[in-house]
Formats: sequence, structure tokens, C-alpha cells
Amino acid sequence: MTAVADVAAPHATRLTLGAKAALITALVGALCLALEPVVPWLGAWPKTWVLPMTDWVGAALAWLLGWIKPVARLFSDIMVYPMGWANTALNATPWPMVIGLVTALGWYLGGLSMAALGFFGLGLVLASGYWHEGMNTLALVAVSVPVALVVGGGIGILANEVPRVKGAVQAVLDIMQTVPTFAYLTPLLLLFGFGPVVGLIASAIYAAPPMARNVMLGLERVEAEIKEAAIMSGGSRLQQLFQVEIPSASRQIMVGFNQCLMAALSMVIIAAVIGGFNDIGWEVLLTMRKAQFGPSLLAGMVIVIFAVVIDRMSAVLATERKRYDLRVVWAVLAFAVVFTVLFWSSLPGASEVAMLDGVANSLDRGLTRFTQSNGMALEALKNNTLYYVLLPLRIGLDQAVLPFTWGFMWTPAMSALVFGLGGALGLLLAWRGNVTGGFVVLIAFGMIETGVTNLPWPFVLTGAAALGYVAGGRRLAILVVVLLCTILLSGLWDRALLSLYLCGASVFACAVVGGAIGVASAIWAPVWRIVRPICDMLQTIPLFVFLIPVLMLFQIGEFSAFLAICAYAIVPMIRYTRHGLVDTPEEMMEAAISSGATDWQILRDVRAPYAAPTILLGLNQTILYAFSMLVIAALIGTTGLGQSIYLALGQADVGLGISAGAAMAILALIADRLVQGFAEERRKALGL
Amino acid sequence: MKTIGLGIALTALAGAVQAADMGAANEPIKLAINEWTGQHVTTHVAGEMLKAAGYKVEYVTAGMMNQFQALADGDIHATLEIWSSNVSDEYAKKVSEGTVVEIGDLGLNAREGIAYPAHVADLCPGLPAWEALKDCAQVFATAETIPMGRLVDYPADWGTPGADRMTGFDLPIKAVPAGSEGALIAELRASTERKSPLLITFWQPHWAMSAYDVKFVDLPVGNEECFNDPAWGPNPNAVNDCDFAPSRIFKASWSGFAEKWPAAYEILSNYQLSVEAQQPMMGKIDVDGGSVEDVVAAWMAENEGSWRPVVDAATK
Repeated sequence: MTAVADVAAPHATRLTLGAKAALITALVGALCLALEPVVPWLGAWPKTWVLPMTDWVGAALAWLLGWIKPVARLFSDIMVYPMGWANTALNATPWPMVIGLVTALGWYLGGLSMAALGFFGLGLVLASGYWHEGMNTLALVAVSVPVALVVGGGIGILANEVPRVKGAVQAVLDIMQTVPTFAYLTPLLLLFGFGPVVGLIASAIYAAPPMARNVMLGLERVEAEIKEAAIMSGGSRLQQLFQVEIPSASRQIMVGFNQCLMAALSMVIIAAVIGGFNDIGWEVLLTMRKAQFGPSLLAGMVIVIFAVVIDRMSAVLATERKRYDLRVVWAVLAFAVVFTVLFWSSLPGASEVAMLDGVANSLDRGLTRFTQSNGMALEALKNNTLYYVLLPLRIGLDQAVLPFTWGFMWTPAMSALVFGLGGALGLLLAWRGNVTGGFVVLIAFGMIETGVTNLPWPFVLTGAAALGYVAGGRRLAILVVVLLCTILLSGLWDRALLSLYLCGASVFACAVVGGAIGVASAIWAPVWRIVRPICDMLQTIPLFVFLIPVLMLFQIGEFSAFLAICAYAIVPMIRYTRHGLVDTPEEMMEAAISSGATDWQILRDVRAPYAAPTILLGLNQTILYAFSMLVIAALIGTTGLGQSIYLALGQADVGLGISAGAAMAILALIADRLVQGFAEERRKALGL
Repeated sequence: MKTIGLGIALTALAGAVQAADMGAANEPIKLAINEWTGQHVTTHVAGEMLKAAGYKVEYVTAGMMNQFQALADGDIHATLEIWSSNVSDEYAKKVSEGTVVEIGDLGLNAREGIAYPAHVADLCPGLPAWEALKDCAQVFATAETIPMGRLVDYPADWGTPGADRMTGFDLPIKAVPAGSEGALIAELRASTERKSPLLITFWQPHWAMSAYDVKFVDLPVGNEECFNDPAWGPNPNAVNDCDFAPSRIFKASWSGFAEKWPAAYEILSNYQLSVEAQQPMMGKIDVDGGSVEDVVAAWMAENEGSWRPVVDAATK
């Protein structure tokens, strides 16, 4: 809530509409606060008003699943074959051959640097001792990506051919990307039976949307002249599509291919939760269970290496085609064959090469030493953040301020003081011409006083609707209210507010810190050189790996969850901020320089406004990332929707799992739509 | 009562054992490998016994919570270490459907309880007596629970036995769910390394018991009444004011198992493994870094007397 409220602040220029919305919100909030002692149902949604929606969802799904089950089982029976083939092919091929093949492919695509990347990347995988597990993971990706490509491509073409369904398709893609995978594991398991096929389907569901979006975008951008030429030469619609439009959109589609691969790779770990496949994700889970940071990081690094190699190589496909000398390819392959034949009997088995165990163990010991020597400081950091930031945000100053925490008792007089201060600040802002800002400040003070989880539901609904109205007009406002009402009625409201609070706090921290790092990276190139590989690693390493060091340093609880979410969600904020600032058009820069602006002035008055839409997009991604990490963070003991999803997974409660997943997706969708609405408006204001 | 009755039934069964048909010996029997080392040991010992009897065995990794669907569908044929304390509701569903059958206790004497790493006894003198917790609750206080003490409880999906005890004994301690086993271990490890206070719900056999020198708090031994009758026990106003109900560790198989591999079914039904056998093997794997296969093979060679009779009874 806070983060979204902060976005509203710069829109003070739109006095009337924004101010009205803020005024109504503030009034509803004040009314709720005043009436709460008399009308208790204003504060908390009464239990008796809750509809047994999770049960309905469960029953409806059980019925539906029963119908599709035979088809799904047939599908998984068929998929077993390609899985088996990919698996055998990758595992039976001697490892020097696989390394040789990848090195040769690297050379062909990108010359010496790519070849070196392939060679050293796979060499590291071999050295880690996880070669077979890694190959199993690759086999899974090798099958799930084609499925995702076909599904995603099909959806994209469908949306292009039948423009009427475009809106619906967008919504479906959003759902596929925002409902956490854990939420639909149980129904998938019922449908497809046990085994790696479930993981395959789950990763295909997650990986298809980027492909679909890029196909849509690519086909949309095919120039009208090209289309007309195809029509004039008398091709049928299919011929036009497959022989003219898709080839001319191929570069955008290749971007989709790249994104699809990365998404599939980031999801393969989910396959491990079900099991049936001795892949790298299973190793990560085993080491995570033992809280062994070093080994789990090592296993996680294998996935990072795959991701980097696949990303860089497939990214080449999306750029201009320049291919390298084929003779080198043959030479590398020939060398690999000769090497294998000559030395195979004396080479160690792929799993026996575990040269990095020492590194892993010393990493683990390093972590131990660090916790031992910095125990007090870490404790102090955690306690201060909890007492002075997280707790007040969650339960409000009036409950968080206790003699144990702040050293004194909160009194109603202090509440009045806080409201008075907020009012005064608001008035000051309003007097200086920023009426909206004034109301927003007042609302923010009210929220800190009550705490996010204690916010009265009519206030949340009004506030969200007001934001929706300002960001995207009446339709968005109605959508937001309807979606929030389903959460209210399903009885997941309390948990949703808890999740909202944790995500809000993390997003806010990410926006501030990530934005600062992004600015620093944009100004000083050396900073970016250090930050970039860290960002790459944070994005592709299995999220579970973060949890162990965070747990070791700060124990279970909200602060650890907060840090884990931040570690993952900060990346897009850094990337987009830097990207937006660096991308300022030359003409604008030159104009600014020639008019004698200092570096700081250029940054503030030229680059920052120009980058605003991009930065907002980064914020949008940060919000989505935070929500997707929320489920993983539940493994360190948070109590929001993430925990419900695990409860559902343990009890095979399809209804609860899907409902909690849907509630999470709803929150993410609303945040997404609001931020996109504001970004759109900024773009228009800049004439982009 | 239930466990005693079951014990008698088992002995009766063991007495009546006869050589059974091998069944489809050329089709592999798939055994579930779950997420923890003890289970790996249990399963590999059983698998080696089946191999000794002339069966083909395949080990299939399977999530503990999600394996029952696979068991019901016959994609996995048996899972050999189910803990009654954290078995998912789905198991009961599948058993009542008749697609999964229970095939007896494993004989592993499990113990669960409120535990602490040994150094905590210095911070809270009077431990292991539970009464000591009344006075040192403050020692265990953290930012999340202040002014109450903190107990790290099982992940929410395993149930809340720790929280039940704290209410039962009316202790000023708040139970916080851990979220995952990894989180429990990380808490133990951090506490041991930093010598910081920690109260945790834990169980044995577990490799961490010896690795972090974990001790149990002495709670009054309870019986059925403790869980139903508030008057029972030190706290007259609440149930659950006693030690944990002993958790049962048992085996289960696919419903078609007995018909397809009768002799293997007998072997698995009669298969037992004790804590004394399992825990040292776990240590050799998790602490000394041996592989499950090697450690189990060594144990099988040394202890042939303890498992060969079960195999022979079913096959000869």
C-alpha cells in the first residue's frame, strides 16, 4: 500500500482528480476510525460474512479435474518418451563430448568468447560433481521449452489473428505468470500423475507467456508495407503468416525464445519438490534441508551456469547473424572425439569429479565465523528494524510502541499528536499548492498509526479504487474493487493484508535502495561492472539458496523473509533505473550540456524525467518479483498467503491452494495495473 | 492401547510367515526416496533385502508430501518411513479410498519433544525440568515475541504440537512456526555457533541430535486422559500438559503390491529397523560424508544375521 501511495505523490499536478480521490479516501479512513468502536465490522470483516469459497473452488475443480484427467494422463504417458530420450542422450554421452559440443556451438554462434564461456561453464559444472543431476535438469528443460514454445507461439498467433480475444489472452497470460506455481502443484499432480511430467508442465506454464507476448509484439510490429506486399502477391492467410509475417518478426520472436528458456530454467526447481527425477533441484532441496549453505550454493550455481550459457548463446540468435568459421567447429568436435576415445578408460566418472567440495565447505565455515563474530551487531540490526520499522508498519504505532520496544507506553494523546502532525504537514503542502500531496501525507500518517494489517476494509477498498481511478479511469477502479471483494468474501483477507504488508515494505526498501544503486551504476561505469554479475546471479539462482544464509544470520521470522524478498526483488529496480537513465537520447543530452547544465542538473532535470516511465516499469517488475518470492519466503516462517499455499500443498487441499494462489495473483495484478496506469500517463506526458 | 494391539498382531503375523510366491520378479519394484537421510537409509536397506531375495529394485525420488498420489496410482510401489506426526491428510484419504495400504510399523522408536542445544542449560539453570521454563521464558525472548519467550515450532503444515504444549503448561512462551525443516536446522546451527538461547520442537532419530548436542526438556509422561481431560496433569485448566504422544513410524504400499509381488510384500511387511541401527548410518552419511549405497552395503555385510531371516522366511 505504501509503495503505491508513494507513486501517487508526484501526480500532484493533476489537482482536481487526484485531490478528490485522496480526499474521499481520507474521509472514508477517518470515518472508519471514528466509527470502529461502535461498529466493529468496519475494522475486521466478520467471519459470518465469509462465503465457503475455498470449498466451492475445491469441489468445482475436483469435478473438472475428473473430466480432463484421462486426457492429461494420456499426455503424460506420451511425454515420458521424449523425457526418456533427452535424458538418455544427455547422460549416455561421455562428458568430454558434451563439453566439446557446447564449445563448438559457442564458437559457431559467437566466436572465441562464446566458446570459452561454454567450455569453462560446463567445466565448472563437471568440477562441482553435479554433472548427472545437471544433465537431468537440462533434459527437463529440453522437453519443457519446446512445449512452452508451441503453446506460447500458438497463443500469440491466435491473439494476432483474432483481435477480439486479445484482452482475454492478456489476462490469461497475466494469470499464468502471477499465480504461484506451488498453488497449482496439487491439481497438476492429480491430473498428470506422479513424476517429472508435472514439473515439466509447471515450468511450461510459467515459460509460455514471455514467448506469447513477444510473438504478439513481433507480429504487431511487422510493417504495413510488408503485409501488403504479401497480400498483393496473392498468398493465402496461412502463407502470409508463415512465409512473410513470422519471418519478418523473427528477431522479436527470438527474444521471446530467450526469455522462455530463462523462465523454464528458473522453474525447474519446482519439479524437484514433487520428485521423481534426480535433478539439480532435488540436490538443492536436500542441502537446504540440512541448512548447508556452501553445498546448496554450489548446486544452485550449476543452474546459474546453465542459465548464463543458455542466455548468452540464445541472445546471439536474436541479434544480427554473423557466423564463425565452420572448420573450427569440426576441429573442436574432432578433438573431443579423439580425446574421449583415447582417454575414456582412464577418465574419472562424471560424478566422481568433485573438486569444489572444499570450496563449498570453506564457504560454509566462513558463514559460521561471520555469524559468530558479528552475532551482536546482527541481532541489533534485526531488532532495530523490527521495532522501529516493520512492527509499526504492520500493527501500527499504537500497538507496536511498548515499554519493551521503544521504552515507553503509547497513549491516545500520542495518537492525536501523530494525526496532528500529519494534518499540519498536509496543510503545509496544500498551502504550497500541492493539495493531493497534502492528503496523501495525511493518509500515510494514518496508516502508520493503525498499521497495514489493521486497516479497515472499507478504507482499503476506497483507497485502491481511488488509485485505480486516477491511474486508469473508471474501468480499472471497478476491476480493482471487484477483485478485492473476492478476497474479502473468500475469508483470506487477513492473510492477504499480511502478505501485502510484507511485500509493501520490501518493495519500498527495494525502490529506495535499488533506485540508488541504479543511479550509481548509471553514473559510474565501474559500479555497474560489479553490480551486473551480482544481478545475474540473484535472478537465476534457485530462490531457496538465499534462505539459508539469511536464516543463519537472522533466524526465522519476518525480518529474514523481508531480506530474502528484497534480495530477489531489488534486481529489476536496479536494472530498469540504470537502463532508463543511460538511455537518454543524445540530442537531449547535447542540448542540456550546451545550455551549461552541471552533471547533477542534467541528472535531475533531463535524465530522471525522461527515465521515469522505464523506472516505473522497473517498480512494476519489482512488485511482481516480490509477490513471487513471497511463497518461497513462507519457508522461513511467514504467516501470510504463502503459508496457506504450503498448508494446502501438505493437505492436498486443492480449493485452499488455488484460492490462496488466486488471492496472491489478484494482489499482484492490481499493483501491476495501477503502476502501469501511472507509467502510461507519464509516457503520454513525455510524448513517447 | 492401539500400539500394543498392533504389536501383538505383528508377532502373530511373524509366527505365521510362510514362503510366498515371488510374483512378477522381473518387473522392478519402485521404492520412494524422500527428502531426509534417515529415510534414505531405511529405504536402501529394504531395497537391498529385496534384491537379496531376487527382485529388481528402483529408487525413485519423491516429495514426502506428494508421494501418496503416486503410491495410489502405482507409479511408486512402497514408501517405508512415514511419520504419524507429519503425514499429510492425503494419506488418510488414499487409505480410505483403498488405493494405499499400510504395511506395519517400521519399529523405529521415535521421540518428539521440546528440545534445546546443550549450552542453553547454562543460560537457563534448572533445565531439563520443564518448570525451569516458567522463570527463564524471558531468556528466550526475541524481537518478534517480546515480552514472551520464543519456541521455534514445526512448520505450520506439520501441525502445532509445540504451541499446544505452551498453552497446556501455561508458559509465557509464544510458538513461532519454522516454515521448513531447513529453517529448524538453521536455528539449531546458529544457536550452537553463537551460544545463543533457543527452544525448539524437535525429534529423534535425526542427525542433528548429536551434531548439535540437542537435549529434550523433561515433560510429565502423559496418557490419553492428558489430551482429553483438563484436570489431568500439572495444569488443571488445560489439556496437552504432558509429553508428546509417541509418534508412530510406519510403512505403506500401493494396493496392488501384495498380489503382484507376494514374497516382497512379506519382506517389506516384516521389515524392521531400529534407531540403534539407523542413527549411526545417518552419522556416517551426513557427518562423515559417505554415500548412502556404501554405508548401507557395509552395514548389510556386518549385520546379515538381523535381516537375512526376514528374507529367508518369505522366500524359502
